[in-house]
Amino acid sequence: MKIPFPSLTFFQALQALMRQDEARFRRLGFVDTTFGIRIVTTDRAWQYLLTFEVFECREVREVSTFDLTAIDFVLQGDLAAWVEMLDNIRQHGGADVSHSLNTLTHFGERLTLLYDDPDNRDKFFRFQESIQEFFDLASALDVELPMSTAAGAVVTT
Amino acid sequence: MAYLSTIDFFTDRNFLDRWQRTLRGELDLGWLHAKTEKLAATPENPRRGLTFRDLDQGAYGFTALPEVVRQNRSLAPRGAELPEGLPDLQPAVSHKSEVWAYNTEGYYEEAMTRQWNATLDVPWHELAKYELPDDISRAYAQLLTFLTEVEMIATDVPAQWLGRLNNEFTEVKNFMATQVMDEARHSEVFRKRALTTGYGLMKASPQNEWSLKLIRDSDSFAEMSLALHLVGEGFVLTLFRFSEYISPTELDKKIFRLVMQDEARHVGYGVQHLKWVMRHFPEKREVIHQHLDEVENMVFGGGYAVEVTEPFIILAGKGTKKENIEHGTRITALFQMKQIEEYFERLDKCGLQERRQRSKLHNALELTRASLQEAGVIP
Ligand SMILES: [Fe+2]
Ligand SMILES: [Fe+2]
Repeated sequence: MKIPFPSLTFFQALQALMRQDEARFRRLGFVDTTFGIRIVTTDRAWQYLLTFEVFECREVREVSTFDLTAIDFVLQGDLAAWVEMLDNIRQHGGADVSHSLNTLTHFGERLTLLYDDPDNRDKFFRFQESIQEFFDLASALDVELPMSTAAGAVVTT
Repeated sequence: MAYLSTIDFFTDRNFLDRWQRTLRGELDLGWLHAKTEKLAATPENPRRGLTFRDLDQGAYGFTALPEVVRQNRSLAPRGAELPEGLPDLQPAVSHKSEVWAYNTEGYYEEAMTRQWNATLDVPWHELAKYELPDDISRAYAQLLTFLTEVEMIATDVPAQWLGRLNNEFTEVKNFMATQVMDEARHSEVFRKRALTTGYGLMKASPQNEWSLKLIRDSDSFAEMSLALHLVGEGFVLTLFRFSEYISPTELDKKIFRLVMQDEARHVGYGVQHLKWVMRHFPEKREVIHQHLDEVENMVFGGGYAVEVTEPFIILAGKGTKKENIEHGTRITALFQMKQIEEYFERLDKCGLQERRQRSKLHNALELTRASLQEAGVIP
C-alpha cells in the first residue's frame, strides 16, 4: 500500500520500521530528543512532532504549532526539498552526498534548523547518525511523493 | 618509583601474625559493620538499564556532593566508609564547581551507548568504488593530516587531568574517560582515512600545534575545559559539520557524522559546565573573560594555518580552477563566520552576553562580515 507524503502515516511507518530494526538502532546508542518537522508550501504547512527515547521513536504526532523553548529544534523546508530528499533516499537506498540531513541544513540552503537554545539544537548533531538512519528507512517504504513540476515546485493531490 | 611502601611486609611481625591468623580461619569481620547507607538501587526505566542517575541517592549520589570535598582524598569510592589510614592522593581538583556540569551523568551514559568502532563501522570496502580527482584527494589528505594532529592533543588533555581530579567526582571522571576513548578513535579514523587516499599523511601544522599547546598547558581544569570543550571543540564541531557538507563520498559523510556526534557531546559538557559555574559562582565572570581573551587570540591565530584553510577552499570549491577557488573561498569564509557566530551564541545562553562587546574576535567577525558584504559575497 502506498504511503502518502506528507502525512502522519509516513512518520508512523518510519517509527514502526525503527522498532523492527531495533538491533541497528541499539548499536547506534541512546537517542533522547524531541524535535519538529515542518514542511511548507506557499499556501500550507504540515507539522509533526517526533519524540525519541532510549533506542526508539516513542511518539509521532501532528501538531498545529511548535514551542521552540519546549523542544530541541525544528527541521523546516519547502515541500520540494523534502520530496527531493526522499526521492534521493529511495533511489540510493539512503541519502547520497548531496542529500544527507547535515548537508541540507548546514548553510540552510534547502532545510533550516529552527531553535531557541543552541545546546538543544546541538542534539541534532549528538544524534546525527540515528536521525539520518531513521530517515534512510524511508527507502524501504512505498512512498507516494507529490509530483515535481518543471519549475521545481511540487503539486500535492 | 616515587612512592615506596614504608613497611617491608616480608619481615614485618604485625603483618605476618595477621596473615597467619587469617590462614587459620580467625576472621576479623569488622567490614561487616561498615558505617554506610544500605541501598538497593533499581532502574527507573528498565529499557535504559541501571544508570548513574538511578544511583543518585543519599551519600552515594552526586546531588549531595558538597562544593568542597575535604574528607575523601583517597581512592575510596563515594559513599564508602573512610577508615583511618587512607592515603592522601593529593588530588589537584577538589572543588565541585571546577569540574561539574549539568547532566554530566547523562553525557556519560550517552557516550557509553554511542561508542562506535573505526575499524568496523566505516564501510572501508566501499572505498574501491570511489575515484576522486587528484587535487581533491591531495587536499583531503592534507585536511585529514591536520585532523589527526588535533585529535591527538584532544586525547592527551583529558587523559592528563583524569588522575588529578578527586575521586568523589566519579561521573566527571567516567565522562572524561569516554572522551579520551572518543578522541583516540577520532585520531584513528582520520589516520586510517588519510592512509587510504593514495597520498598518506601530508604536512603538520605548526600554528595549530602552538594553539593546542595552550590548551594542554592550562593552569586549572576549569581553564582547560573552557579552552578545550567550549572553544576548541565548539569550533571543531562546526568544522566537522562543514567537513560532512563538503565530503567527497558517502563513506566520508558517515565518518564525519560519527565524529560529529562525539564532538557535540564534548561541547555539551563544556556548555553545561560553564552554565553551572555562572549560576553558582557568578563572581568568576571576570576570570572567565580574561581566559577567553587569551583563547580567542589563539583561535584567531589559526588563520595563519594556510595548510588547513586551503584544503577547505579546494574541497568546498570542488577543484583548483579559478572558478572553483572563487566558489570555495566564498563557502569557506561563510563556514569560518559560522564557527564564530555559533561560539558567541553558546556564550549568550551561558549568561555571557556581554562577551560580544568585549571580544576582539567578535570585532574581527563583524569586520569580516562587512568586507564580505562589500565584496558581494554575502547579502
Ligand atoms: Fe575529537
Ligand atoms: Fe572532542
